[in-house]
Amino acid sequence: MFDLLPDRLPWFVGGPVLGLLIVGLFVLANQPLGASGAYVQTSGLLRKRDGIVIWRVWYFVGLFVGGLLVTQVFRTGAEVRSGYDALREVFPLGVVIPMVFFGATLLGYGAAVAGGCTSGHGMCGTAQRSPASVAVTATFMTTAILTTLALRVVTGGSL
Amino acid sequence: MKLNVIGLLFGAMFGGVLAASNLHEYDTIHAMLRLDEIDVFLFMASAIAVSAPLLWLLEKRGMNTPFGGELSLSRSMPEPHHIKGGALFGIGWAIAGTCPAPALVMVSSGALLGLIAIPGIFLGLHLRERQQMNTLHVGDGEHRDFVKVKTDSV
Repeated sequence: MFDLLPDRLPWFVGGPVLGLLIVGLFVLANQPLGASGAYVQTSGLLRKRDGIVIWRVWYFVGLFVGGLLVTQVFRTGAEVRSGYDALREVFPLGVVIPMVFFGATLLGYGAAVAGGCTSGHGMCGTAQRSPASVAVTATFMTTAILTTLALRVVTGGSL
Repeated sequence: MKLNVIGLLFGAMFGGVLAASNLHEYDTIHAMLRLDEIDVFLFMASAIAVSAPLLWLLEKRGMNTPFGGELSLSRSMPEPHHIKGGALFGIGWAIAGTCPAPALVMVSSGALLGLIAIPGIFLGLHLRERQQMNTLHVGDGEHRDFVKVKTDSV
């Protein structure tokens, strides 16, 4: 709608702002700025489970709304598209769809086993100086880089 | 009630920062994991560099949070499940090129394949939940007791 933001916020602005958000949520509510917990609570609510932490569901909604505001309102508005440009240049949609679904299932399962994801362990846990979070982060960074390298080799360097 | 507003606002600000930094794009994550550019690593490192010392100071001063009782950071030692889960997460992250928070922003930015990623993440979390019924403790890095959140001020 408007064009208030640059195409990509530089890391030295976005990173520190995110750091302040992490501190802010701890200061206000003593809670980490994670994301997989919000999925767990949201799916619990949809399945009418007891003991749902409802504010995490609002947080889940907020993530969507914040993305909407930035991409559609503060910027000129991203058009509806498939996404995954680099992957689609290499594989047809019939391969991309199951690949994305499989990868997402695997990361969801892994996040549940590890007890957190890029935000919960990678940033919030590390910021709390938790050895477990540092171990999780080092592990997923390593396997992600190796998997990317493997995909690159398998596709003959095109991915 | 107030906690719900805080949740919505912090979710929106988090989602906004991810969107503004293009972290919802497969291409950004892919370029990072290909080690073609270091911006995302620096993004994460600077977020930690800002938050870790502040949290350390606040913890040392023993602050009382308005909605969550006394500020208590949690630290635990690595266990086998951290390594196993982290390894699987990393493989999935590299294949899907997204993770839980950016996947939501992917959809709100108009990228329809995000609609494939989100159900996948739900399914993955659910598969683990079926193995182990401690669902309310799964999720945000450090295992913390969600029930401890003051309910009278909510």
